[in-house]
Amino acid sequence: MSPTPLHLLWLLFAPLALGLLAWVRPPRHSGLVLFVAMPLPLVALWLLLGLDDGPMAGQLALGPLTLHWRLDGLAALLWLLTQLLLLASALYAAGYVRTTTLGQRAYAWLWPLMGGLALGLGLIWIAADLLLLYAGLELMGLCAVGMMLLPGNAEALTAGLRYLLFALVGSLTWLLGIALLLGAWGRLDLAGMAGLASVAQPDPVTQIAVALLASGLLLKGAIFPLHSWLAPVHGSAWTPVSAIHGALVVKASFFILLLLWRALLPEAIAGAWALGLLGSLAVLWGGIQAWRAVGLKQLVAWSTVGQLGYLMLAFPLLAGTSAAVALMAWQATWLQLAGHALAKAAMFMAAGNLLLSTGAHRLEGLTGTSRRLPLSLMTFGLAAVTLMGLPPSAGFTAKWLWLQASLASGQWLWVVVLALGSLLSAIYVFRVLRCSFVEDAPEQAFRSLPLGMELIALVLALAAIGLGLAAGWPLSFLAPVGVP
Amino acid sequence: MTELSLAPFPLLRLPLAPLLFAALLWPLLLGLRAALGATIGLGQLRPHLSRSLNKPLNQPLSQPLSHPSSQSLHRPLDWLWISAPLPALALAVLGPDGSLWLEAWLLGGSWELDDQRRLLLAFSALLWGLAGCYARGYFAAEQAQAAAGDTDSRARLLRFALFWPLTLCGNLLLLVAEDIASFYLGFALMTFSAYPLVIHSGSREARTGGLAYLVMAVLGEGMILAGLLWGAGTGSALTLSELRATLATADMGLWMGLLLWLGFGVKAGVIGLHLWLPLAHPVAPTPASAVLSGVMIKAGLVGWLSTLPLGMAGVDEAFHWLGLAMLTAGLIGAFAAALWGVAQHNPKAVLAYSSVSQMGMIAALIALGLLQPDSWPALSVLVLFFAAHHGLSKGALFLGVGISEQSPRLPAWLLWTLLILPALSLAGALGSGLIAKWGTKKALDAAGEETLAVWLSLAAVGTTLLMARALWRQWRQWPRKRHMPGSSQTSQKHHTSPRLPSQHAPTAANDRRLLAPMPLAWLISVLAALSLPLWFSLLAGGIEGVLSGQLADRFAWPPLSALPALLWPLGLGVLLSVVFGWSLHRVAVRLSHWLPAGDLWWPLAFCGRWLWHLVRRMLRRLAALQSGWIAWWVARERDGLTGLDTLTRAEGWLRRQLALLLLAVALGLAAVLLLADVDHDIQRWRQTHGDAHH
Amino acid sequence: MTIAPAAVSAAAWVLVSLLLFLAGFCLLHRNLWRACQGFVAFALLMSLAWLVLGSPWLALAEALLGALLTGGTLLWTLRGRGALPRLAPVDETPRRARLSAPLRWLLILSWLGLSGVALVMLLGLDALSPPTSTSTLLTATGVLIMGLGLWAFSAQRHLLRRLLAFNLLGSGVFLLLAGVAAPVPVSMIAHLEPAPIAEVRALIFIGLVVALLGSVLGAALLLQLHAQAGQVTLTPMAPRHPGR
Repeated sequence: MSPTPLHLLWLLFAPLALGLLAWVRPPRHSGLVLFVAMPLPLVALWLLLGLDDGPMAGQLALGPLTLHWRLDGLAALLWLLTQLLLLASALYAAGYVRTTTLGQRAYAWLWPLMGGLALGLGLIWIAADLLLLYAGLELMGLCAVGMMLLPGNAEALTAGLRYLLFALVGSLTWLLGIALLLGAWGRLDLAGMAGLASVAQPDPVTQIAVALLASGLLLKGAIFPLHSWLAPVHGSAWTPVSAIHGALVVKASFFILLLLWRALLPEAIAGAWALGLLGSLAVLWGGIQAWRAVGLKQLVAWSTVGQLGYLMLAFPLLAGTSAAVALMAWQATWLQLAGHALAKAAMFMAAGNLLLSTGAHRLEGLTGTSRRLPLSLMTFGLAAVTLMGLPPSAGFTAKWLWLQASLASGQWLWVVVLALGSLLSAIYVFRVLRCSFVEDAPEQAFRSLPLGMELIALVLALAAIGLGLAAGWPLSFLAPVGVP
Repeated sequence: MTELSLAPFPLLRLPLAPLLFAALLWPLLLGLRAALGATIGLGQLRPHLSRSLNKPLNQPLSQPLSHPSSQSLHRPLDWLWISAPLPALALAVLGPDGSLWLEAWLLGGSWELDDQRRLLLAFSALLWGLAGCYARGYFAAEQAQAAAGDTDSRARLLRFALFWPLTLCGNLLLLVAEDIASFYLGFALMTFSAYPLVIHSGSREARTGGLAYLVMAVLGEGMILAGLLWGAGTGSALTLSELRATLATADMGLWMGLLLWLGFGVKAGVIGLHLWLPLAHPVAPTPASAVLSGVMIKAGLVGWLSTLPLGMAGVDEAFHWLGLAMLTAGLIGAFAAALWGVAQHNPKAVLAYSSVSQMGMIAALIALGLLQPDSWPALSVLVLFFAAHHGLSKGALFLGVGISEQSPRLPAWLLWTLLILPALSLAGALGSGLIAKWGTKKALDAAGEETLAVWLSLAAVGTTLLMARALWRQWRQWPRKRHMPGSSQTSQKHHTSPRLPSQHAPTAANDRRLLAPMPLAWLISVLAALSLPLWFSLLAGGIEGVLSGQLADRFAWPPLSALPALLWPLGLGVLLSVVFGWSLHRVAVRLSHWLPAGDLWWPLAFCGRWLWHLVRRMLRRLAALQSGWIAWWVARERDGLTGLDTLTRAEGWLRRQLALLLLAVALGLAAVLLLADVDHDIQRWRQTHGDAHH
Repeated sequence: MTIAPAAVSAAAWVLVSLLLFLAGFCLLHRNLWRACQGFVAFALLMSLAWLVLGSPWLALAEALLGALLTGGTLLWTLRGRGALPRLAPVDETPRRARLSAPLRWLLILSWLGLSGVALVMLLGLDALSPPTSTSTLLTATGVLIMGLGLWAFSAQRHLLRRLLAFNLLGSGVFLLLAGVAAPVPVSMIAHLEPAPIAEVRALIFIGLVVALLGSVLGAALLLQLHAQAGQVTLTPMAPRHPGR
């Protein structure tokens, strides 16, 4: 049996249905969550494996509306990653609620929001026109904001309000871009626009439109000058929510941006360099802020800012470079995205475990954890291996490919950025480890955690490293560079 | 290498290999025995330890077990110990010529016995044996103390008993070795094993002497090793004869030769490198001084003979300059050491300077091997004879120092005659000395080096002066009241540190017997020194050689007519001694204060200390500089972090101005895209324009 | 019911000027209660504008979602009867520093200029001359409203005001979107297919829903924040004692 559009529809709406179900009866046992939600990643995997004979694509007519969708290897991979991380996060959440005192209603709300997030992300991965992309992005954004606001304290409210306001304004900016594009091209499906863009010279309206929607997406994707909403939001969010947000939500904006850029302005070298420069600044700024961060979760959030900056290197390395360079950059980008998603989720969970167990929020509160919480600390370290780009992790493979691409295309600047970024990551990671290995601190009361919570994080961190070892398998599903 | 390969000694010949092994292994075994004794001694010094070790044994059982070992433990210098060089002596006398190839030893060992080695072995082993015998008497009081339970004395004696045979073993190995590895191994073993012998008494002077010895030894070993490795590496030589051939022809042969000359020169007391001699000799126990001066110095000579291309045809021209340097250094040494030595107070220091002086003469003779290769065959035998003569005579003189301090029951005139005889011999007026001098004169005349002969004669004046000075000092220190119990030999042993009070009990009276070890050894050494010409020829050429008269003209007594030419230095020397002794006897003490033994060592040591202080001060300044530097960096780090924190505060601004930043990013991106496109358009326009133009 | 698009009637001018006036009113009036009432009126006028542009369903949605629900939510935030304390109706938060005002104006004007240039290129140079159709007029109004919204969003601190500003900004973008996809666009690129009207309406509809959800969420959060920390701005400040 080969995948049909109905399966896609099922995979889109099943998480939402499960989320609504869980809203009525919030689950308290990881086993139950695993049993019920396990089919989702399995179906996603089945979809991925069913793509042997080329990508699926199609249209869905709803009265006068026509929606375009497409499922290629990249989308299926990302969808599988999404389902896996959501499952891991759900499992973690079930343990999290037993260890901490969460509001009952807030906890119940987590599940439909997670379902909505899954739907939104799924839409983004398979969307082939701007309407679906817009709908998916807005759904994902609202659900993400809702999840971030669940803790309900003043700090979370301020951060969440800022996130809400700017996410809304960002989506208006991006809608403005869509409006101009619509005016210029008279159509919303990506394939059609790409087909036209490949033959026509880029006109100023398209460029303005892309600039507008890019700025909206940069805001939602927390790229350098527009990143400042990210760290406060993570500071007070629940750990499973932070994990999903850092791993997936911010990457969806990047995905859309890269998609549109490749479709509309594949040859705009100067603009691509500008984006690359913004990414470089993000790498440096995120690294420095993580270095000087006070709290552990802020540190991890800032490291997200830095790591997202790496992804922006894809733009200059894909624009106007040779096919070999573009292929390396293309593979590196998605490998980094997947590796960072896994590692960042693991890192947030490990950090959450450490904070939960010590009851501290500052780095100085981690003293003595090397003895008491070796597993969580090891998970943190393993996740950091990916972030620092040490072999054999996915981060290393990705950076290695980028390095080669930079050298091959003569864009030396990115080599410096990669080196500095790795150095900064090493600095802030070892700052955490140093605090953890301090032994002369007064003995604290450590709360014991369910083994499952630590194991989930460990599995994710190991997956990030394993992805570097077995990078060939996922990369084999990627289409060659080009417009989707 | 020498011309002495005459008919073999007609006496009984034993197979070579067992003799060689016995000669080398026997001292090692004795050293091992002393080491074992020391280990057992450790157990005995700590009874509780031995008890805990022997827990199953009952106390009455362990007691008799430990008793005999304690006997040998407290008196380690027994007759068995003295027999250490006897196999070597047997080898020299009874061993046939030949060589032994040892495949498994180092890089392939090659040990040889030929006439030159036989001679050297013979007098070395003889002197080692006599000195060992002498040591038994010399340390009698210390042995008695050790037996009485003094752990310090026991430890010192055990150390002496361990390192004496080791030094001997090294000395013998370097004498019989033909391969470079064995030779160097023996040389290094001898050099470094002798250090504990020098510092035996543990006094401050002994430590200074030991330091001088060690510093110079390490310097010398370094140069020797460098020269040997360089030479061996260049010519891929494994044996000494191959090394000589390499040196003679190699491009950088001169530098290798220079390294080897200086390296062995440390041992042989070349002027400038002789510093350890006058410092180490007076402080070492008298038997050790005797072998140091009599035998071990000769190891340097052996090194020269074995490694320098002496008397070889086709030697590189540059070696002429090396020969000149050797000659000059030798003569300067011969005179300077004599002048400095005359001012010394301690007879052993005087004798040490005399050694430097004599070795200078020998070095001058060896230099002729480089300057006039043709005359070398005759000179080489002479050099060997000279070496043996000097070794035995100097040994006898050193041993005599102890005798004069603690004289046996002999009439004074006989004692002093016996003391004076080797001195006269060394001064060239008697016995082997006279023959050596006559031979030298003849050989030099034959080689046309009359000037050198005159210089050597003048050096002999110096030798006479030194001898007179040494005997005078001995005379002055001679205990007139022989029967007084205060004249203990231990106090003489500590004579070099007169401030140390004598802590030891007076010697037993039976050590003053004529046949006690000390006087016996001394007497035999005197006899051996005087009778050297007889048995030297016997050993070197065999009876046939003596009978056929081939050697007769070489080691013959000088005719009476030649005597005035040979004896005038002695006369002059005696005259000068009397004149100086009479005129300077008031300032002599002060003179010896102004000109201390060790001459250059003291300014050098001062310079060294000054340099060390300088270095320490510089290091301290460096440390201060470094800490300042680190503090500077720490401050910069703090500044940097403060700066970073200020930078992170910019984040607040970014957060507040997020809306404006959104606008700015959008506008900026649009501007970049539009402007780049405009630029692109202009370029395209130019291109088409240019195309149209063409 | 529909007014001919070819000629710009006086009614359209009245509509446009009322829209602009109400937008300014709800962004500038110190009394938030009045400002929110102004927003309800604005939403109703927007609904009329959709009607004018020939989208009755959008007009219905705007009236329902914009005027009724969003406006109601905002009003309820000020005067409702719930467990949480209400907000003060008068906005006493200070504006942002005057220092950045020129920069802000520059950026906003450039933004408007950029949008205007893009629109002119899309709609043709005729748009520069006195507007020839209602849709063009409304598009230009949308740009102006967008500018007002942007200014208020970046210059004001009160969160309710910023929510209002966001809603106005959204309305401006919607108007622009509708104008760009008007039935007879004169595009630079001659595309053969007619503009996908249904998709445009879907976009606007989604935008309306998002704006409603965002406003509801924002208002609820604002109430919570006010109850917990007593602040109505993002950065905690003492608005009544600016001297400190």
